Amino acid sequence: MGTRILTVEDDERIRTAVKLALEDEGWTVDEAGSGEEAIDLFHRASPDVVLIDIMLPGIDGFELCRHLRKTSDVPIVMVTARADTHDVVAGLEAGADDYLTKPFAPKELSARIRALLRRIRPMSPGHTKLVFGDLEIIPDEGKVTRAGVELHLTKTEFRLLVELGQSPGRVFSRESLLDKVWGYDYFGDGRLVDVHIRRLRTKVESDAANPRHVVTVRGLGYRLQS
Amino acid sequence: MTEAVEAPPADSFRARVGRNVARFRPQRVGLRTRILLIFTMGFLILSVFLATITYGFTRSTLVNQRDRAIVEQAYRDAGVALNDLRLSPPSAQPVIDNLSRLGIGYPLLNYRDVWTAGSARFGPEAIPGVLKDRVLIDGVPSRMIITVSGERLLVVGIPLPEVGAAYFEFASMSDVSSTLRSVGLSLMFAGFITTLFGVVLGAVASRRAVKPLGDAAQAAKAIAGGRLDTRLETTDDPDLKLLANSFNDMASALQQRVERDARFASDVSHELRSPLMTLAASVEVMQARRDEMPERAQAALDLLVGDVTRFQGLVEDLLEISRFDAGAIRLHREDLLVAEFVRQAIGVSSMPQTPLTVTERAERLVMHVDRRRLARVIANLIDNARLHGGGEPEAIVCEADNEGEPIGHVWISVQDHGTGVPLDERHLIFERFARGAVAGRRSSSDGAGLGLALVDEHVRLHGGNVWVEDRLDGEPGARFVIELPAEEVGI
Repeated sequence: MGTRILTVEDDERIRTAVKLALEDEGWTVDEAGSGEEAIDLFHRASPDVVLIDIMLPGIDGFELCRHLRKTSDVPIVMVTARADTHDVVAGLEAGADDYLTKPFAPKELSARIRALLRRIRPMSPGHTKLVFGDLEIIPDEGKVTRAGVELHLTKTEFRLLVELGQSPGRVFSRESLLDKVWGYDYFGDGRLVDVHIRRLRTKVESDAANPRHVVTVRGLGYRLQS
Repeated sequence: MTEAVEAPPADSFRARVGRNVARFRPQRVGLRTRILLIFTMGFLILSVFLATITYGFTRSTLVNQRDRAIVEQAYRDAGVALNDLRLSPPSAQPVIDNLSRLGIGYPLLNYRDVWTAGSARFGPEAIPGVLKDRVLIDGVPSRMIITVSGERLLVVGIPLPEVGAAYFEFASMSDVSSTLRSVGLSLMFAGFITTLFGVVLGAVASRRAVKPLGDAAQAAKAIAGGRLDTRLETTDDPDLKLLANSFNDMASALQQRVERDARFASDVSHELRSPLMTLAASVEVMQARRDEMPERAQAALDLLVGDVTRFQGLVEDLLEISRFDAGAIRLHREDLLVAEFVRQAIGVSSMPQTPLTVTERAERLVMHVDRRRLARVIANLIDNARLHGGGEPEAIVCEADNEGEPIGHVWISVQDHGTGVPLDERHLIFERFARGAVAGRRSSSDGAGLGLALVDEHVRLHGGNVWVEDRLDGEPGARFVIELPAEEVGI
């Protein structure tokens, strides 16, 4: 079965054009014109990637995103009006993995989707188990436990954690994380890393305000330690 | 009255000035000076008026009192002389002696037409004829103020017809004069102090009166400078309230209008984005099937693709610049190595092969900037060089030229091989859509439009400067320089 993509967008013309462009990439595209329709379709079609426009009638994009996150770790791409508003951070906090600003070129969108799909694939073999104090990461199985309890991470969060865990103690700059996890170049948005680190901490740390494992190294980046 | 006298010449002077030489127009006196002058003049006139009245009143009171005392004394002395003369002495000398003994200074008696004086200085010759006549001939008691060798005196003449004599007495008024002099001096001093007080009061009052105007002027300046939310403080003063309210109403109306204009540009761009999205996606689908199309359709598609891209760029620029106008830009600043940043920015620009030269010291410079915004600045400059500067741009990063001083700024420059920018167009080139006005001769019609205006806005938001000059190596071509604050770090 090929890759399935769900696009949620209330403007029918845009939806159709994006669908045409994405189908050219060889993907199957399902369309939803509202949040309610999207929730219904999501459970029936179980897509691999969801594309959500924040400006939706009824349930808005943030709400839809939070709803999907309750039950699923599916990669979500947000479409926002502007890159410098709170929308981006709010969208990422609601659970989106990446974002695009209108108007974007479909090529850009397919590049982002490909990067997200790549993230799902298993990591390089060799490390069967990474241990950081009470944290245990099993990359091949996509499993993380803290004190023996399994944690539910999204695919991007998991990928970020493994990236940090593969070189214990090493400091990763935002740029290198953007490159490795999201496939962005030098000009990627550092907020992607910051918000995901924040979300990761609320899951893997017992006290997210005073992180013990995912530590900020001021001016340089982030590090994973036991 | 003063005005009536002065006005006509002033008018005719003005008229003459108007006709002949306008530059000799007299400087108009300012409001503050006028208020100060009015206060000073008012207090001066008031104090002169009060002093004059006080002086006159004091003077008449003093003189009257003295006059009455002298006359009373003279009658008493005349009574003494009368008693003595009733004895019909042969001469008046013993009477005078008796009076002198009693302490009377300057008595004078006419007894049986013979004058006898108590003092040689005040003899009958000192008495004016008029007084003599009135006393001796008319037989009326009279008095008169006379001056004898600079001294003011009161002469009182009393006829004593019972004994065929007339008594005269001289009394000095000089003590009254000196009292009056000191009173006058005190009044002048008081008048001076009052006038001075008037000056001070005038200065304070004029400052207070002009202060609301100064506030209004400052507020107007602030509004002109872009701080549209500036308002005048509201006040209880009914006169000032009018000024403050109408000023604030004007400012609100202006602000609303400016905001509406800014929002319009932003709204238009936002509205354009949805159809643009559809266009971009559809064009891409068509482009994937370009090979299946006939040749003419291919040519049309190529045009379409090119202009959709251009359209997209223009809408993005418009949105960005309307964000500047709305003051809605928030910079995400971070410390970046200048050279590394410029290398990366060139890499994602439309000409990634652009050569970059970095001076040795500039390799160690760090700046605190918004990475993605500044990357657009570099990209725009390179686009500008590509479109208008004959292609083949070169980028240079060097420390700002301030010998000896520690490095405070970095210069990032992009130079081209075009015709350069004439001196008188250099400040115009950063205006929005300056292409029409300036770049008639700048070859391509492929729009710069907002590119350089955005460069200017971005750089200024970062606390830097941008300008254009000739190439430093003397070859034809323009050199755009961005100056940004930077620090040298040890590596």
